[in-house]
Amino acid sequence: MKQLINFKLNGEEVEHYAPLNRTLLKMLREDFDLTGAKEGCGAGECGACTVIMDGVAVNSCLVLAAELDGREVTTIEGLSMDGKLDPLQVAFVNEAALQCGYCTPGMIMTAKVLLKNNPQPSEDEIKEGISGNLCRCTGYKKIIEAIQSAADKYQAENE
Amino acid sequence: MENFVYYKPQTLKECVSLLEEHPDAALLNGGTDLIIQMREGLRIPTDIIDIKNIPDLQGIKVGPDEIFIGGAVTMSQVYDHPELSKLFPYLCDAARSVGSIQIRNRATIAGNLVNASPLADTATPLLCLEAVIHTYGPNGTREIPLNEFFVFVRKTLLEPNEVVTGISFKPDALDKAVFTKLSRRNEVDLSTVCCSVGRKGGEYRIAFGSVAPTPLRLLDVEAYLKDKELTDDVRREAAEIARGTVSPISDVRASKEYRLDMVANILEDALAILQKEG
Amino acid sequence: MSTEFVGKSVKRVDGVKKVTGSLKYVDDLKMSKMYYTAIKRSPYPHAKILSINLEKAKELKGVKDIITGDLFTKRGGLYLQDKNFLAVGKVRYRGEAVVAVAAITEEIAHKAVSLIEVEYEEMPAVTNAVEGMKPGAPLVHPDLGEYKVAPVFFPVPGTNISNHYRLRKGNVDEAFEKADHVVENKFYIPHIQHTPIENHVAIAQAEIDGTIQIWASCQSPFAVRQAISHDFDIPMNKVRVMSPAVGGGFGSKGGTTLEGILVPLAQRNPGHPIKLTYSREDEFQNAYVRQGLHATIKTGIMNDGNIIAVQNEFIWDGGAYNEYGVNIAKAAGYASSGPYDIENVWTDSYCVYTNHPVGGPYRGFGMGEMHFGIEQNMDILAEKVGISPVEIRRINGMRPGGVTGTGEVVEVAGLQECLEIVAERLKVEEKEAPSAPHKLRGKGIASGWKAPSMPNTAASSAIIKLNEDGTAHLMVSAQDIGQGSDTIMTQIAAEVLSISPDKITIRTGDTDHTPYEWQTVASRITYSAGRATYEAAMDAKNQLIELAQIKLGVYGRDLELKDGFIVAKYHPEKRVSIASLAIGLVFDDGSAVHGPIIGRGAFIPPNIRDADKETGLGDHPVAFWTYGVQGVDLEVDTRTGKVDILRVISCFDVGKVMNPQLLEGQVEGAIMQSLGTALFEELMLKDGKVLNPSFVDYKIPTSEDMPEMEIYFVENPEETGPFGARGVAEPAMVPAAPATANAIFDATGIRMYTMPMTAERIYEALKQKGVSK
Repeated sequence: MKQLINFKLNGEEVEHYAPLNRTLLKMLREDFDLTGAKEGCGAGECGACTVIMDGVAVNSCLVLAAELDGREVTTIEGLSMDGKLDPLQVAFVNEAALQCGYCTPGMIMTAKVLLKNNPQPSEDEIKEGISGNLCRCTGYKKIIEAIQSAADKYQAENE
Repeated sequence: MENFVYYKPQTLKECVSLLEEHPDAALLNGGTDLIIQMREGLRIPTDIIDIKNIPDLQGIKVGPDEIFIGGAVTMSQVYDHPELSKLFPYLCDAARSVGSIQIRNRATIAGNLVNASPLADTATPLLCLEAVIHTYGPNGTREIPLNEFFVFVRKTLLEPNEVVTGISFKPDALDKAVFTKLSRRNEVDLSTVCCSVGRKGGEYRIAFGSVAPTPLRLLDVEAYLKDKELTDDVRREAAEIARGTVSPISDVRASKEYRLDMVANILEDALAILQKEG
Repeated sequence: MSTEFVGKSVKRVDGVKKVTGSLKYVDDLKMSKMYYTAIKRSPYPHAKILSINLEKAKELKGVKDIITGDLFTKRGGLYLQDKNFLAVGKVRYRGEAVVAVAAITEEIAHKAVSLIEVEYEEMPAVTNAVEGMKPGAPLVHPDLGEYKVAPVFFPVPGTNISNHYRLRKGNVDEAFEKADHVVENKFYIPHIQHTPIENHVAIAQAEIDGTIQIWASCQSPFAVRQAISHDFDIPMNKVRVMSPAVGGGFGSKGGTTLEGILVPLAQRNPGHPIKLTYSREDEFQNAYVRQGLHATIKTGIMNDGNIIAVQNEFIWDGGAYNEYGVNIAKAAGYASSGPYDIENVWTDSYCVYTNHPVGGPYRGFGMGEMHFGIEQNMDILAEKVGISPVEIRRINGMRPGGVTGTGEVVEVAGLQECLEIVAERLKVEEKEAPSAPHKLRGKGIASGWKAPSMPNTAASSAIIKLNEDGTAHLMVSAQDIGQGSDTIMTQIAAEVLSISPDKITIRTGDTDHTPYEWQTVASRITYSAGRATYEAAMDAKNQLIELAQIKLGVYGRDLELKDGFIVAKYHPEKRVSIASLAIGLVFDDGSAVHGPIIGRGAFIPPNIRDADKETGLGDHPVAFWTYGVQGVDLEVDTRTGKVDILRVISCFDVGKVMNPQLLEGQVEGAIMQSLGTALFEELMLKDGKVLNPSFVDYKIPTSEDMPEMEIYFVENPEETGPFGARGVAEPAMVPAAPATANAIFDATGIRMYTMPMTAERIYEALKQKGVSK
């Protein structure tokens, strides 16, 4: 069964007939070919599917497509819409904060909200903030360093 | 996931009539449990009634006589609330201990209680606060003390067509309290044992999760502690009584024996904190 | 040798694609006319299949095809041909694939699976490897004697032993008689799972002309091609395997797993891509798991601290199919002395069939499991003779000129340097105060070693094509599974050709278009594929110099490559650009010679010979050994048993640090993975059933579990590796877990003989000891 929903996706107004029994994750991947968000567990335990919905980080595997009406969603693809990388993306590359890359889009989206709410987080605050995003490759150290480095960059840009 | 019809009622009345019309409907609030159950085929609702946009369920009200947390308020809204985090840090600690930040941005306090999991993290501070569950149903509103609300594992006093509209408690219900959670991993884990220990004047309120079919108050321990000075011996004795009062099970997270020992240890330690910090 | 790109923290060449989410992994591929697969799996650990009723499933609208194992009965396997992709006749573990359904949507495929009825007759199951070895145990593979096996493995027909590895050096009995102290300890290491964040996934598509294409998240496209070609009798030129991106492997995507289920479906439905994506629950139960290990280690030591004999019995719980696992028993067997020079060694290492999930390669390939025992035993021995954990490793730890368990004399061994660095940085002998009165603080160290556990013939190749503008394409089939091999290979080619890494584009993972690579496993890629890349770049370079000699009139010996030019060393004004020679040398009269420059590189580790079948002795059975030491500083909460890891110090002898930043990342990740196994990871099995097949109850470390980490390296070159490099990605996962156990002992005085060392287990031990009440 499909239902018409209107929502904002990566800054653009979208009108979409969404299959109702579909999660936001599946809708993004199947209907919009936005495959940056990944399914790692389908149960809200790994964070690989993290997107920003109405300004907060959510597991897109635990949101129904039907709930989207009137809401705003940003995916990893939305961070470099103008062809320019977000400072977080630059920092992840520069600090080697990624290995296999499968957790990376979700991790960056979580970090994006974290820095919005707390522009200069301490190491402990970063650790707590990204603890819902599992990474099996890096051991997290370089991810934390990348987020700190991006925080400095945002700060410098704002000054 | 099977097909369903999706409704987004704007009023409680509308919501309840939808419930009455669709006996196999499911209420969708934060969705962090429901959607997993639907994915696994454990629940196959014909209709989804999304209540999280109903205006009556929104917001946190801090009044002189009552704190009211709306039925659609999320975990992160609770601990990000400046007054709640100042006045009720233990409740915020409990809310913050649930799942990940992504989960807490969706999961609601009401949902945590309605699920009636034995290890519902926010249940123990609310039990100590003697919180009241507010419901709305075909027969109007009801107020159910949280202490009576939990019936068994995943069973509550909620009637089939009732909705939880919020949770309230008195601002001065406790002078001070401590929330403790033991889990296998530092973050994003279910409780092996969780507990809240509060003090009001000479009275103590103690609630545990993951040690019985429902989160529960340890009234025997509370009675023992009433008006007592929290000496080492008294704390130890309280811990021993607690051990005898609870009935945990063994599961993949921990054995019954370990849980019993932890009940005693974390109660003793929480009492020590209360005693130390006055 | 001064280098321009090698040894520098060159940024990951795949970085931008990964941070933008634009890299397409296999599950991201969308193709027209795609069918989706779901699998009917066994609910029993061991049962005869009596009947399969497909009628209801076939009637479901949208179901396109259903296959069962009896259609494809040819057995296959990497080292021991013991498996079918769909069960034939009986099931050997709970979760084994029995029927595969292809349908137009995933939902329909799953629905169809629920309509399939399979009748079973349950059989007695083997759920403990030690019990399974005993005479009279139910046989998981009664036909073991008929299975084809590589000649370096030793199955025992009529038992559940799929490989009995033996090592016999010197005379352990005499040595134990002579020893001042003999200690014997038993350790148990349970099954764990790799949990790459990307679950297994593959797509297969056949054409009517008999060709088949496979897109798989796999570590080893050529190994998959080999298996598919063999098992389904398809010539290799008709099988194309592509691995566009891999979201983590750690061994679980080595060999061949779900691809084989899809091939027959594809063949029966030409023109339709057939896709199978594992769920996280599948990953825990139906992909490879790390084998369980029951280890008994007996060691004899003299009062002066010299260890004179060790006798090991390793019993590996290999699960239902041991096609890959037999080699883990072997690898552990020949490394069973640990990184120590011990005169008398006796080892029996058994790989045993059980009705458990299928054991397979996992980062460390037996070393992580085995060293948990070996390294605790070292500390126990040190205490016996009254010396420190550092001292016993100084006395017995491998040095250049030392002799391994198989009798190999090692020329390079940086273990002692690593030991001193870790001991110093950890201040291992200094007691530090705990952060609270109810906590105990302790420090521990452990050593580790590992060789690439691969066939002697494991080979690599590389091709470099130069482009008209002086840029290049590098083609290898080493897979970047996160470890950074695309970047390392690019750095190597850039170094040799003296062009910047951004002028080189690397292509990997396509058996039709990129050259042979045995497998991306065994920490062998930087070493082996790196060496092949080096050779390919050298080949291109030599061709360039050959042409430049003519062009410049300078003898080749006196030419060098510099910043995109071939330059005369002593007359730098004489130079010619790589770009101008890339397609051949053009003479003044307009004619030309040579044609495009294509560099070819191939490598097979030199002189690796089989060990003696009876004794396991051999003078050069492996390509190299990687040595390292890690130290752990931790606290134990006596009220809960919970361990907090405060600090980990690591030092490995990597031969050559190719990219400091990526190498640190490898080690940091390895440490965290090791700590996960130390503290909470365990696949809980009961009667063959996995009790915790989800991230809800199988916990891997989060950022909150991360300690401070200090990462050091020493560089004693491996002469056969590129720029002296050897592998480290697996070895780095080995010592942290036993170092944690040793630190727990230091803090509490309790020995943990079982992983994981959960809060509950530690608390129980503390209680028994009277530390906790």
